[in-house]
Amino acid sequence: MRALLEVVLLELKALSRSRTAILLLVASVLWMLVLPRLIVGDGTFAGARELYVRYSLGGVFALTLISLLASACGSVARERTEKRLMLTLVRPVRHTLVALGKIAAHVFLGAIVLGVSSVVLALKDDVSRPCSHVLSPLMPSPAEEAERMYEEYMKSPRTPEAIRKAKKAEVIKLLEQRAIDRYDTIATNETAVWTFSSGGERVRMRFTNQFEMRQEIRGVFASGENQLSVSNQTQSVAVFDFRSNGELKFTNRGKSSLMLRPRRDLNILSRADSFGWNLLRAYLQLVAVLSMVLSFGVLLSCGLGRPVALFTAFAMLLVAEMGPSVVEQYPSSMDMSRADRVGLAITKTAAAVTRPVSALSPLEALSKDECIEFTPLVLTMALDLVLLPILLSLLSSLVLVRKVEGRG
Amino acid sequence: MEAESVIELKEVRKTFRDFWLRPTVEAVRGLSLEIKRGEVFGLLGPNGSGKSTTIRMILGLLQPSAGSVRLFGLSPRSVEARQKLGYLPELSYLHPFLTARETLEYYGGLSGLSRRETTSRAVELLKMVGLQDVGSRAVGGFSKGMSRRLALASSLIGKPELLILDEPTSGLDPISTKEVKTLVKALAAGGMTVLMTSHLLADAEDICDRVMIVNHGLAVAEGKVAELGTSLESFFLAKVGNPEEFQLAEFLKS
Repeated sequence: MRALLEVVLLELKALSRSRTAILLLVASVLWMLVLPRLIVGDGTFAGARELYVRYSLGGVFALTLISLLASACGSVARERTEKRLMLTLVRPVRHTLVALGKIAAHVFLGAIVLGVSSVVLALKDDVSRPCSHVLSPLMPSPAEEAERMYEEYMKSPRTPEAIRKAKKAEVIKLLEQRAIDRYDTIATNETAVWTFSSGGERVRMRFTNQFEMRQEIRGVFASGENQLSVSNQTQSVAVFDFRSNGELKFTNRGKSSLMLRPRRDLNILSRADSFGWNLLRAYLQLVAVLSMVLSFGVLLSCGLGRPVALFTAFAMLLVAEMGPSVVEQYPSSMDMSRADRVGLAITKTAAAVTRPVSALSPLEALSKDECIEFTPLVLTMALDLVLLPILLSLLSSLVLVRKVEGRG
Repeated sequence: MEAESVIELKEVRKTFRDFWLRPTVEAVRGLSLEIKRGEVFGLLGPNGSGKSTTIRMILGLLQPSAGSVRLFGLSPRSVEARQKLGYLPELSYLHPFLTARETLEYYGGLSGLSRRETTSRAVELLKMVGLQDVGSRAVGGFSKGMSRRLALASSLIGKPELLILDEPTSGLDPISTKEVKTLVKALAAGGMTVLMTSHLLADAEDICDRVMIVNHGLAVAEGKVAELGTSLESFFLAKVGNPEEFQLAEFLKS
């Protein structure tokens, strides 16, 4: 433990005496203070607030991630090429602790920068403002729905031959995406019914029509005895006493059919705790993600020279950022050339590996006052803040042994 | 009673390989040696003879391709063996942003000393190497001699039983060289085992009890300095010297 602490302290001294720490801190606080003057919102206080919450902490997170990743990529590589690492490795200290110490120091600095920025955000905002749990309607999972649709397709004589010949997994993947994006159409005077696991005070929905154009929305929400008429003005969020009788009904009283994707566009919002607590949860989640990315940086630094490690790390970040949208755009490799299929397979693999980074969006939830739920937060922290850094440190130590074994 | 073996190498070989695992250099070719507790042992040889590779295998930084290396009867990679080890590399390799005191505290912490013990030992060692007045200065501003003395102090911070010195007097002025030699002799007199490499044969002759001369990865001679019957330099040249390799006079004439 003492050795680990020494490695952490050494790295923190390196970061502070090279002025990385102070520059990062000053830049972050400046960003937090200057950003409100730069935001051009939609003219509403809520809109400007949402933008500020998302981009203030988002900007600081991006800045911290990039600077500390650059530093982590050089941390071991620099010491190895300058042969200082050798003097550490001949001491009675396990190589894993050296890697873990480097990770811990970078995460510690990142946590301080994000912490200070979060405090600035808390001071500029109302921490007592409530946030909400977000519930989706109870429906079969997209995979279950896809399986059912597949069986129906195969029974139908109208199904094209190309789909019959395609691999089942590929068709299922397409159908899964279709299930997620599936629209329910509610004709005039028709009533749609959805079931939820528990109740709430507000219904959030986003109707559309087949031309994605604004249209008149007029209808009635009903849950048990309670009813609420909604119109265009209330279509975003309707405050409604929705009890847990399991059912929410909507009757379309407008002149034309309405459409909505129940998996994406319909939620029940129930009172959770405050923005202050949500900010704390978002902070913890950001630190956890930072920890995972920096652990990769240190691992790369153990095996590669600084420039190569930097290039690899940023290429991985780019793939992590772009991968999901590529996969969403091209969900299937059907009707593709061989080269495109290879490219898509690589992107899909990279996206799957880096999904833990790209799938987390605490800032979106925070800016919309949606509660960051406890269970996924704990899982993220256990995985990204504890398990992965330890595993990657073990891997780093193995890489380090092989690297030190080299001719140099 | 025979003294305990501190370092034991048996038929050690080290072959470096390229990316495709093809052998490139056979740096050490079946080297055996044994160093007993309290000995001051000199590993001598020309450049490229395999001294550094041997030292790195003893330090646990390299795995031998064949044969065995034991430190205090343990694997050199074990934490227990490294607990008893102090190492001074050929160049100092200190962290330039740390002060002299912080450098000693860092290595003391890594060696498993308590904070209080590290602090008192750092003061003691800084005094011993004559750097007590510059303990708060950043190492980046130190002269080569000062860095060397601090590196020596760092190698001693963990109270090692075995001290490995790679060219300990390199870069030192004559006075500092003499001080280092006196210090090594004092440490050896206190029971510390010392393994050193040096190009300066006079230094080795002054300090070492026993020497081994290696060339092309093989031990070509081994013996006690007191029993050589000639100067170490003459002995060395007789074993590895090859004047035909040095064509300087011919080159200058041409």
